[in-house]
Amino acid sequence: MSNEVWVVADLKIDGSVRKVTFEALSEAGNKVAGKLGGKLCGVLIGSGVSGHAAELGKYGAEKVYVVDNDLLKDFNTEGYTIALSELIKKHEPAVVIGGNTVFGQDYFPRVAARVGAGVTMDAISIDISEQNTLKIERFSHSSKAIPTQVFHQNYPMMTTVRPNSFKAVENPKDPEIVEGGVEINPADIKTKVIELQTKESDRPELTEAERVISGGRGLGSEENFKYIYQLADILGAAAGATRAAVDAGYCPYDMQVGQTGKAVSPNLYIAIAISGSVQHFAGMGSSKVIVAINKDPDAPIFQKCDYGIVGDLFDVLPPFTEKVRSLIAEG
Amino acid sequence: MKILVLVSQTQDTEAKIQVSSSGDSIDTGGMKWIMNPYDEFAVEEAIQTKEKHGGEVVIISVGPDRVLETIRQALAMGADSAVQIKGDSFAETDSFTVGKVIGGEIKKLGDFDIVFTGMKIIDEESGQVGVQVAEELGIPHVSLVSKVIQVDPAGKKAVCQKEIDGGHVTVEVPLPCLITCPDAMNEPRYASLPGIMKAKKKPLTVVNAEDLNLEELGLSAQALGKEGARVKTTQIKVPEIERKLTIIKGSDEPMVKGEEVERSAEELIKLLREEAKVI
Ligand SMILES: Cc1cc2nc3c(=O)[nH]c(=O)nc-3n(C[C@H](O)[C@H](O)[C@H](O)COP(=O)(O)OP(=O)(O)OC[C@H]3O[C@@H](n4cnc5c(N)ncnc54)[C@H](O)[C@@H]3O)c2cc1C
Repeated sequence: MSNEVWVVADLKIDGSVRKVTFEALSEAGNKVAGKLGGKLCGVLIGSGVSGHAAELGKYGAEKVYVVDNDLLKDFNTEGYTIALSELIKKHEPAVVIGGNTVFGQDYFPRVAARVGAGVTMDAISIDISEQNTLKIERFSHSSKAIPTQVFHQNYPMMTTVRPNSFKAVENPKDPEIVEGGVEINPADIKTKVIELQTKESDRPELTEAERVISGGRGLGSEENFKYIYQLADILGAAAGATRAAVDAGYCPYDMQVGQTGKAVSPNLYIAIAISGSVQHFAGMGSSKVIVAINKDPDAPIFQKCDYGIVGDLFDVLPPFTEKVRSLIAEG
Repeated sequence: MKILVLVSQTQDTEAKIQVSSSGDSIDTGGMKWIMNPYDEFAVEEAIQTKEKHGGEVVIISVGPDRVLETIRQALAMGADSAVQIKGDSFAETDSFTVGKVIGGEIKKLGDFDIVFTGMKIIDEESGQVGVQVAEELGIPHVSLVSKVIQVDPAGKKAVCQKEIDGGHVTVEVPLPCLITCPDAMNEPRYASLPGIMKAKKKPLTVVNAEDLNLEELGLSAQALGKEGARVKTTQIKVPEIERKLTIIKGSDEPMVKGEEVERSAEELIKLLREEAKVI
């Protein structure tokens, strides 16, 4: 076993590197690789990804393993699982870290099972224990508890980390590039993507945003969600929603915040016509400042927010949005 | 078709959460145990698949005898039989081990077509076991399936819609496969009274943890306890975030109305700007 600490790059559909990768590199460099005395390494898996090595170097990677293969185009769990498992078997890192995105959630546990590793998901802190093993904290019980989990001396130790939990700090290195030398047999990729539907959006991604504006069932229609988008765009915020709003067809599934949906922890979370269910709070309860606009004075959200207005969103939101607009315009 | 569903029992997290005196677990004393809500969607999807294509639904659940209540609920919803892998220590072991144990039992059940399970359990929230069972069985998995579009038992394939960041994909996966279910993919049915009566007579196989052949599963003798776990919980804290609870209300009735609307908007902006400093 080596004592290398790996951070596997998490890529967006357009092939760019997600911010959580840089956050993980920064945090792992300080808290994990430093203490273990191991090298901080990046891992790039995908099709046409070699060019990103320098970006990983910018955030501290001293070495970057690359598996660049046409078979890894699009969303391909099996290909990624093979690539990462083979890399791990070959180079035996001590720690392997990835982003807790839909993608990371999908293949990290599978890789862990294949290589016999312990794995935790969605860590909000990473560190080294007294036994020199990985130690993480995460949310459990609908985000009402934070367990500390310590790994046994069994290698590698794997975890995904929650986006927006750590600061990405530049620490430029000129990384050595190592070709992974992993063969992928096309016959081992059994799941085929028939159709990939993505939509372009100028808004920030929910999990990366500093501000989030979310709407609930009370919005009443897809049309009315424009109120959410307007305010979001003025504030440079991401737009989110509750399950009730998604279920009703007011907005797409990937806007759902909560236990099933995305976990966010922005500086500012504005919840509009959202009752404040346990499951919704599981995804946004750690936001720094929570604001609620709701017409029901007894809505549970008023028991767990910082600021609120008891009022009808259709009365309150237009003047609020206008005032924010002029404030921002004034600078 | 033979359809399997991995079902867990969970603590109801709607309740208040308290850490036990040992500091490293949740006090389950007064807590209600329920079927993991995500597994309800898995059971429903399995039953609907059976209704369309014929066959049987087998429930597999790991845990002490309290899980029998959850197993009976699944049988009452319409599943045909169940396997309980019985033991007290599973809660302390790791997902790798649980995945191997469940996979090992599934292999004994003979050929099957699909395994459904919830995307995660709402208490531990680890979301690993399903995928790890698929690995143990050597079958493909599709996680976070928002819609099963088609199951084709003759053509040995399924087509599913899966949510990803920034959109969704439609994938075709050969059978047998494992599918993990988020919420809202269907509407889980309630158990009917006749269903509850029938459930009592449906076959249940109990496998005792002590009788498992750990060596054959590639597991160490300590694998089932806390000592053998690859990852251990050493401490649990309850997050305490103090909220300001500054709520702007109307003067006559709770809701702001008329002129108060403008004023409340201004007041909120002032608070966000000067007190919270977030805009
Ligand atoms: C296993 C499981 C997982 C779940 N996962 C999630 C999840 O990830 N995310 C999630 O959000 N939910 C999730 N849920 C669902 C959750 O339990 C709630 O049903 C949901 O969050 C409620 O959404 P809501 O607040 O929009 O709707 P409601 O609870 O119906 O609240 C609507 C609110 O709008 C207010 N309102 C109505 N009209 C107006 C108006 N004109 N002006 C101002 N206010 C108005 C009402 O007073 C009310 O408070 C999950 C549930 C389960 C069982």
